[in-house]
Amino acid sequence: MQQQWSDIVLDAIRDVGQRILFATPRLLAALTLILLGWIVAALVRRVTVRVLAAADLDVRCARWGLTGVLGRGAHRPSPTELLGRLAYWAIFLVGLLMAVEALEMPGTRGAVGAVLAFLPHVIVAVLVVVGGWMLAQFLAQAVLIAAVNAQVAGASLLATAVRWLVLTVAAAVALTELGVAREMVLLVFGIAFGGAVLALSLAFGLGARELARQALESYLTRARQDPGEPVSHV
Amino acid sequence: MADGLTLETALPPDGTAAVEALGPVEALVAVTALNQARTAPAVVSAVAAGLARGFAGRKTAVLFVDGGSQDGTLEAVNQQASADAAVPVASARVSGRPGRGRAVLAALAAARHVGARAAGLVDAGLASITVEWIEPLLGPALNGDADYVSPSYSRALTEGTLTTNLLAPLVRSLFGKRFQEVLGGCAAVSSALLDALPPAEEWADEPTGQGAEMRVLGQALAGDHALVEVHLGRKEVDPGAAPADLAHTLVDAVGPLFRLMERHAGEWQDVRGSVPVPRRGPAGPGPRAAGDVRPDRMVRAFHLGLKDLLPLWEQAVTEETLGQLYPLGLLGPDDFRFQPSLWARVIADFAVAHHERRLPRDHLLRALTPLYLGRVAAFVLETQAASSPGAADALERVCLAFEAEKPALSARWR
Repeated sequence: MQQQWSDIVLDAIRDVGQRILFATPRLLAALTLILLGWIVAALVRRVTVRVLAAADLDVRCARWGLTGVLGRGAHRPSPTELLGRLAYWAIFLVGLLMAVEALEMPGTRGAVGAVLAFLPHVIVAVLVVVGGWMLAQFLAQAVLIAAVNAQVAGASLLATAVRWLVLTVAAAVALTELGVAREMVLLVFGIAFGGAVLALSLAFGLGARELARQALESYLTRARQDPGEPVSHV
Repeated sequence: MADGLTLETALPPDGTAAVEALGPVEALVAVTALNQARTAPAVVSAVAAGLARGFAGRKTAVLFVDGGSQDGTLEAVNQQASADAAVPVASARVSGRPGRGRAVLAALAAARHVGARAAGLVDAGLASITVEWIEPLLGPALNGDADYVSPSYSRALTEGTLTTNLLAPLVRSLFGKRFQEVLGGCAAVSSALLDALPPAEEWADEPTGQGAEMRVLGQALAGDHALVEVHLGRKEVDPGAAPADLAHTLVDAVGPLFRLMERHAGEWQDVRGSVPVPRRGPAGPGPRAAGDVRPDRMVRAFHLGLKDLLPLWEQAVTEETLGQLYPLGLLGPDDFRFQPSLWARVIADFAVAHHERRLPRDHLLRALTPLYLGRVAAFVLETQAASSPGAADALERVCLAFEAEKPALSARWR
């Protein structure tokens, strides 16, 4: 009985010891890969920032009108800084994946290959979202200014609607690119967009028919009677 | 002749041939147009008759340059030009994308090509031009008295408010020269100034609007050329023309001036104070008072801008300026005030924001519209009861405010 007990305990200890002996080099390799990934990512980030700064990317982006649409506030990152961070996280992520692969944990075999194969779709989706966001900002700003200059009440609402419309389209395109329930995204977007337009048409045409008539009448009358500015500017 | 503006880069071959057919010319007046069929033929006729009367015995010519009109402007001018033959009249159309700036550029290149000692630039929309305007406009440049001749006009305070409240005060504070008109619809330049103009490829950012005229003025101011102002009479533009969108006008006129500030930063930053531009001929009467004009609509535009465009203005102007703008939102059309000093600060802030590209430039200039309308509303209210001397004082106060703002602007310009 005692012998049996000691065999079981010793087997367990031996088994754990073997597992630790088996896992330790992999763990060390994983930690080394994470450390290397971090070092390489930090280096690449620094080099990217320097190269882009030397190429005057921030000035060029400002000239192309991109900086203004990146956002507001004193703490917004510059385009150079943004791309530097992107490079850092991309490389660090690859390091992490290699570390996971090195651990040889069940279920993670081939994870790196799968993720790397999926990476082009992720890059395209990110580009679509970033581009869509910048386009949304730009168009919303343009609509806001044009509506205010035309003295349209509710200019902010109009600009917000344009911003969200563009963002929604960009999000739908990005999700489709990622293959996330492709059919469902298209269906949901189509139904939501079509539904919104139909709802607005019905609300305007039926529910607020009288209001619409009055608004149009008022607008047309004002346009007809409007003498324009009482001064000449040039 | 190898450097600077060349005709081949500005006009297509048929246009070049038309200019070459004129032969050597002492004085060339170019009428430039873009969709101005209503007024262009009459303007070309007046210019041709003015040249024949003012410069009889000298080799002069008129060149009509169309910037790519779609309303038959060129055809209307050609039809008219064949009937009149006081002086040779040639016409050409620029190729590519339509733009008034390209027409002006071609006109300047043509003047240089024919070896003109003086060149006049006349906008085809200047409906009030008369035969008598041509000799005083072109004479100083042809006789060697001036390299740049600028017009001045008899106008009411409610006319040309963009010039009186922004363009002229800003040019005066920047370069220390007191012009009444900036982009006044006509001007004359000497061959020395023509030769000093940069080659066509450097004008790429001025294809439309009034950038080309502004660039010529900038070259004259920055290059220390001799300047002269002549009084021509009453300025009227085509009354039948559709009113231009104000935001578009600001982009066309203020944008080139802000770009001029960038191009010639070294020449204006240390200038302080101002001197009058030498005048040739009799001085015109002072500005007429504003009369009874209701500024309600302009004040409403300002209020709407303050409510909705604040996020954009926050990126363009300083917190201090914003702090002074907020209280204006509480003022109604009868007691609305927008002091010249605050207006000068707003323009300096926008110029710096334009330079630093804090917003897309087109957006920035369009976002200025409600602020400009607010200033014009206040200007109209200030000057409604003013006599003619009082009206002149009101204009001078605006200019002095811009001059007072100049040191701060120079200090912030990097």
